Amino acid sequence: MRPRVLIADDSLTVRMDISEALQSAGFDTVLCADLRSAREALAREGYVLVVLDILLPDGDGLDFLKELRSSPATAQIPVLLLSTEAEVKNRVRGMGAGADEYIGKPYDLGQVVARARALTRANSNDAVGPGRRVLVIDDSVTFRKELKRSLEAAGYNVWEATTGEEGLALAAADRPDAVVVDGILPGIDGRTVVRRLKSDATLRSTPCLLLTAAEGTDDELRAFEAGADAYVRKSEDLGVILVRLAALLRGAIVAGGETNPSLLGPKRLLTVDDSITYLQELGSQLRQEGYDVVLAKSGEEALELLEVQPVDCILLDLIMPGLSGQETCRRIKQRVEWRNIPLVMLTARDDRDGMIEGINAGADDYIAKSADFDVLKARLRAQLRRKHFEDENRRIREQLVRRETEARFQRLTHSNIIGVILGDIGGRLTDANDTFLTMLGYSRAELESGKLRWDEQAPSEWREQTKTAVEQLRSVGSAIPYENEYFRKDGSRLATMVGLVLMEDSDTVVGFVLDRTEHRLAEEKLKRYAVALEESNRELESFSYSVSHDLRAPLRHVQGYIELLTRETAASQLSDKAQRYLQTITDASIEMGQLIDDLLAFSRMNQITLHESHVGLDGLVQATVRDLETATQGRNIDWNIAPLPEVIGDPSALKQVLVNLIGNAVKYSRPRDPAQIEIGCAGEEDGRLILFVRDNGVGFDMQYAHKLFGVFQRLHRADEFEGTGIGLAIVQRVIARHHGRVWAEGTLDRGATFYFTLRPATTF
Amino acid sequence: MDSLKRILLVDDSSRDTELVLEAFAANHLANEVLSVSDGAEALDYLYRRGPFAGRTNGQPALVLLDLKMPKVDGMEVLRQIKGDPELKVIPVVIMTSSREEQDLVNSYQLGVNAYVVKPMKFTEFVEAATWLGAFWAVLNEAPPGSVVRPMSRGT
Repeated sequence: MRPRVLIADDSLTVRMDISEALQSAGFDTVLCADLRSAREALAREGYVLVVLDILLPDGDGLDFLKELRSSPATAQIPVLLLSTEAEVKNRVRGMGAGADEYIGKPYDLGQVVARARALTRANSNDAVGPGRRVLVIDDSVTFRKELKRSLEAAGYNVWEATTGEEGLALAAADRPDAVVVDGILPGIDGRTVVRRLKSDATLRSTPCLLLTAAEGTDDELRAFEAGADAYVRKSEDLGVILVRLAALLRGAIVAGGETNPSLLGPKRLLTVDDSITYLQELGSQLRQEGYDVVLAKSGEEALELLEVQPVDCILLDLIMPGLSGQETCRRIKQRVEWRNIPLVMLTARDDRDGMIEGINAGADDYIAKSADFDVLKARLRAQLRRKHFEDENRRIREQLVRRETEARFQRLTHSNIIGVILGDIGGRLTDANDTFLTMLGYSRAELESGKLRWDEQAPSEWREQTKTAVEQLRSVGSAIPYENEYFRKDGSRLATMVGLVLMEDSDTVVGFVLDRTEHRLAEEKLKRYAVALEESNRELESFSYSVSHDLRAPLRHVQGYIELLTRETAASQLSDKAQRYLQTITDASIEMGQLIDDLLAFSRMNQITLHESHVGLDGLVQATVRDLETATQGRNIDWNIAPLPEVIGDPSALKQVLVNLIGNAVKYSRPRDPAQIEIGCAGEEDGRLILFVRDNGVGFDMQYAHKLFGVFQRLHRADEFEGTGIGLAIVQRVIARHHGRVWAEGTLDRGATFYFTLRPATTF
Repeated sequence: MDSLKRILLVDDSSRDTELVLEAFAANHLANEVLSVSDGAEALDYLYRRGPFAGRTNGQPALVLLDLKMPKVDGMEVLRQIKGDPELKVIPVVIMTSSREEQDLVNSYQLGVNAYVVKPMKFTEFVEAATWLGAFWAVLNEAPPGSVVRPMSRGT
């Protein structure tokens, strides 16, 4: 069934004229002379287009248009307004009422057909049949019908045109797959038609077959010169035409994808001039060329029109009251969507200043009003051609960029270093790379079935994360990578990390999905270690608690009962030997107690939490020396204590370090008189201060230096110097826990120096 | 010395008990000392239950309490004494083997009256016991309700 158009116009001539043109363009038409019959026709059946006059005998066409727009059943039908009211304010009113197109009367039939086709094509892409479309241009009805029958029998869809002009307009609107054109036509001839088609960027690849009645090679040569792809004499059998056509179509590039409007398509011009006389003369001249012409009487009107209806070219008078041509031009060129419309400046005189002014304001060309209209038309065509090729170039460039971008995206997606999914914000999953499919165990066919959704792939307890991510997508365009879980096809779960991005100006979502299984396992392992460590720490704590309680009691009992035994037995009853034995038992148990205490102190040093703060070493050293008073009493010691800096550390732990180091210095310098003890700072190492405690005591052999800091390691016999060998082990542990290091230098009988490093409270 | 008051000694170690008693005896602190061997027994005594159900005399003037004991430990006994409106007036002194910081903190938080670490050397131990006995059993005024009945042993 052919698509149906409703034509409402009070003029019988107009109705018949348009109806005929639309019918030969493949439409069915229903004609109405007033609004009443139009309403009835509309109630009866559906239409793909309404061609509507504004001034109708029983009312305003715009009221009818508003009715159409307010009813859901008819709101979507394209409406083409056709009116004698060609002034700007009428166009603004018509477009404002919801019209899709507005063509001024007197109209150009080609313009009407082309706009009708464009409006209906936008609405239904399958209006054209499945076969190849061939446009036949011939003024002979007999030949046309005969050829059409043959072509249709061979499966082609055929459109007819009687003149070259009509043919070009149809070609521009319809983009046929091939054109068959007669050489001799009433208006422009067949060769001109071919030449024009071949000069249009969007139509030049359409195969053209030129027919001629004449015999002779001259004709043929000229046909090819014009750019025809094939040449057939009319005297030949129709079968020859069919065969040549089939051959042409085999080699032709199949037209498709987006293309720009054809150069030969319908054009709308905006003419702006304060002189009504000139405007009307210009209008009628241009209408003869097939343009839809809008007449604007001022710059303000021109701008008003541009807001509602796109135009292909602007002819603008330079000198006008109100908004000047220059200012109008400037405003047009400032708007991004208008900037590319060719603008030709008109001025009364052929003056140089006017030209410069116009071009400076952004005009694309300049023409004197005094010039011949043919010159103006030619300049106009040149501007439209230039615009057409610029658009075409831009389109090709954009297409290349888009293809490259798509290729890059494809490469990124299929590099398979991370799962990539493509979907929409509603949760649909439209594409995914192999990595993602492998992760979840789905096949590409299952993905393409469309049953997978990225939002429902997560178990219910993880849906909240997805919801939050979608909210983030909507508000800021991307979702911060979040932990998630996805169901695999086999029902098992996959730990993932997901990041989502919303593509600009669309609801397309790109997601990056990382398999977190390994991370998850590592985290769980770490957690188990932490728990085990905590447990072992607790055990160690309770162990040392028991040690401190239970190991001490028997020792105390040993000593207590020896004492009781001594009291029960008179001194004379015990031999000296027996008394010495008892004393040794006592001493041994005391020693044992000391070992237990030291071991506990050392083990605590590993467990306690250090509380770091700024510590003044000066004060700490003074306090330590005071604490050692018992040991230093009666000794002759030269103290040499340099001013010491502030460091960062745990005060009580650092105090322990000083007690042990200074205590050792005091102890091992006991044979000296005077003993010399020096405490100071020996510089810096890796941003840490090197502090030292030096004495002139008994020193040590450097070959045993490595043993100094071990637990219960001693370089002296207990009867020389008392001690359990835990002090330096504690020093080392404390400094290590402050991330510093400890070392010692010594010479036997010449003294020892102990160094340790700490972080300064202020950096130098 | 009729002002001497009864002391409840709670220690699971019979040796420690003997040593304490020896120390008191050596210093002629002849006050009543009643020793029990764990926390459960101590609580039975204080609450007059089980073997002490028939006890009619007043509460002791002092409880000397070891911490680490089987069944009910010293900390629990302390918690119950200090949590009971009638018993909380009785002075409690912890006598223990070690100076574990956590034990000290917990004891004082529960309201212990003194915390003493048993010295390793017996002579010092005797000194400590003497001093404790002299202070709590002689110098210190016992809270009302602890009956003064010198020289009579038993429940």
